[in-house]
Amino acid sequence: MTSKEMTTMTLASGVAAGAATQAVAQTDSAAVDNAFNTLKTYDWGADRAALNPIDQAIIASHGDAVARKALEKRLVGALAGGLSRSAQDYVCRKLRVVGTAQSVETLAALLPAEQTSHIARYALQRIPDEKATEAMRNALPKVSSKLKPGIIGSLGVRRDNKSIEAIAQLLGDSDLQVAQAAAQALGLIGTPTAAKELSKFAKSVSANMKVPVADACLICAEQLLADGKKSEATALYGQLKGDDQPAHVKVAAMKGMLAAATKK
Amino acid sequence: MANQKSKPAKDQGTSYSRRTFLQATAASVALPYLIPASAMGKDGNTAPSNRIVMAGIGLGNMGGGDLESFLGRGDVQYVAVCDVKRDVRDGRMNHVNEKYGNKDCKAYNDFREVLARGDIDAVHCATPDHWHALVVIEACRNGKDIFCQKPETRTLREGRLMINAARRYSRVVSGGSQRVLEDYRKTVDACWGGSKGIVKSINVNVGPLPTDCNKAGEPVPDGFDWDRWLGPAPWAPYHPHRCSGSYNIDGTSWRSFKDYSGGGLTDWGAHHFGGATFALDVRELEPEEVLFHNENGKKYATCRYPNGKLLHHNCPGRGNLDVEGTSEQGPSKPVPGYAGTGGIDGDFIDCVKTRNKPFRDIELAVHTATVCHLFLIAYELERSLKWDTVKQQFVNDDEANRLVDVARREPWVL
Repeated sequence: MTSKEMTTMTLASGVAAGAATQAVAQTDSAAVDNAFNTLKTYDWGADRAALNPIDQAIIASHGDAVARKALEKRLVGALAGGLSRSAQDYVCRKLRVVGTAQSVETLAALLPAEQTSHIARYALQRIPDEKATEAMRNALPKVSSKLKPGIIGSLGVRRDNKSIEAIAQLLGDSDLQVAQAAAQALGLIGTPTAAKELSKFAKSVSANMKVPVADACLICAEQLLADGKKSEATALYGQLKGDDQPAHVKVAAMKGMLAAATKK
Repeated sequence: MANQKSKPAKDQGTSYSRRTFLQATAASVALPYLIPASAMGKDGNTAPSNRIVMAGIGLGNMGGGDLESFLGRGDVQYVAVCDVKRDVRDGRMNHVNEKYGNKDCKAYNDFREVLARGDIDAVHCATPDHWHALVVIEACRNGKDIFCQKPETRTLREGRLMINAARRYSRVVSGGSQRVLEDYRKTVDACWGGSKGIVKSINVNVGPLPTDCNKAGEPVPDGFDWDRWLGPAPWAPYHPHRCSGSYNIDGTSWRSFKDYSGGGLTDWGAHHFGGATFALDVRELEPEEVLFHNENGKKYATCRYPNGKLLHHNCPGRGNLDVEGTSEQGPSKPVPGYAGTGGIDGDFIDCVKTRNKPFRDIELAVHTATVCHLFLIAYELERSLKWDTVKQQFVNDDEANRLVDVARREPWVL
């Protein structure tokens, strides 16, 4: 590799040579180009090592916003250009680490398809940008029942307050896995609004939703307590100490009430 | 068996926080609710109605060994087996039924059906690692105690979720490394006995790191629920090496691959780092920093604990479980050990009866797994990282924080 190649590090066409830092420049640009070419035909059974230069470029570009953005752009371009499932899998794993708002639109396009929904969330759930949350929130009403639990789960992990209404409507879904995911997500979101929805639903819960809803209420109450909302937490705990609950849930509720009563 | 210096985990000199005290108080107030009826029997000729009613989930290599151990106990009644491979679950079911001379043991493909049974007190879990958190948490919320094989977690976030579930429902949750106490006993005794002086650091040599798996697909064997085996992991085509339960970590078993395991660093690391943190007496702590070193291409790393103690991984020039101490005689204190009889499995069963914390309580086990994951992330990013033990986040490093957890494949959520 020539010194000129070393310094240009053409992660993306149009990137100015001077933009790359020394660290990024040390990555072999020709090897990165080859890896991106390989990606176009990469499929199950191909040698994973052929993509290692991209892995190394990601490590080397840490702290170099320009180079990182160029690398992300190139990954997104590859994904949008049509890849095998294995190559899509690879790119989404990389975007989990380097993805930003500029990746969201392309990833969001993969959410409705059964083959790609999860791997798109694999990236989106971990991209710390509101646009990623928004994309999953918008996809929720459009995807099949099979995919809904995943998107609900991701919104729950991100504690998306704006999804509460939509998720709460799914508590009574005829698909038990959708309904259970909805309960769990509301528990994780853990706001007073989420608590109200859980509390309302818990009053007439069916037998097969009893355990998930009780669990969600306890998790929600713990979050409320951690956020200093003692009265809301106590109310939720109080709902779970009745004889209609199994012993371990009643004990959990009593412990929670005690914790709430003594919390300063 | 624990030696004479051992004492049950319940007597360990833990400093209790106010929260822990309140939880303990509430738990003791509610004790009648917590002891399963079947846990009231005595050792020896325990009547069937007084035995701990157990089931096993994930019954391949390790699970088969665990099953034998629990099945051989007079105070356990084994009633259900669960595995995604039909031949495995049917074989285990027949074995259990032959042992008891009846047809009472049932076989399941879906672990949730096992955990929903009201007659089961406790379960053991030896699924691949990517299933552990889901199974343990589901067990806790169904009021079951659980013995979970190591390494207990696949991601950092899973650890805290598992601890919270165990504490929320006052469950006995034991991790699974018997080697922590049994293999490294001499080192632990030396460190806790003071002959190593003030222990400053320990090195662990273990590997390899996990890799991505891109193996081509093959036809799924008859009777194997491949989708259920993958579970929360990204979809991938079936290949025997992808899912083999072999103990080899050379690309021919699930232990080799990132989606299901942390490679040798977590698989054997759960043992070695468990022993090292025991010897170093930092089992109840998490590191606050992981330092990545690259000396002329030789990469290794070090975890630094809040009390200044160091846990090295693959430090050049140092052997496995190599202790660095001071020259003077150090302080001495008793070494904790198992309760009951029958090693780590017996410790778990004893704790199911007494409601004490097991030797390998989930919190201590998770701390070991956390060490492994901190090392993995430092190696993946090739840089040093600071870990906020309270927030369970890396400090000022959004990129590292993305690696704290993964999105799970639907319908599995945590």
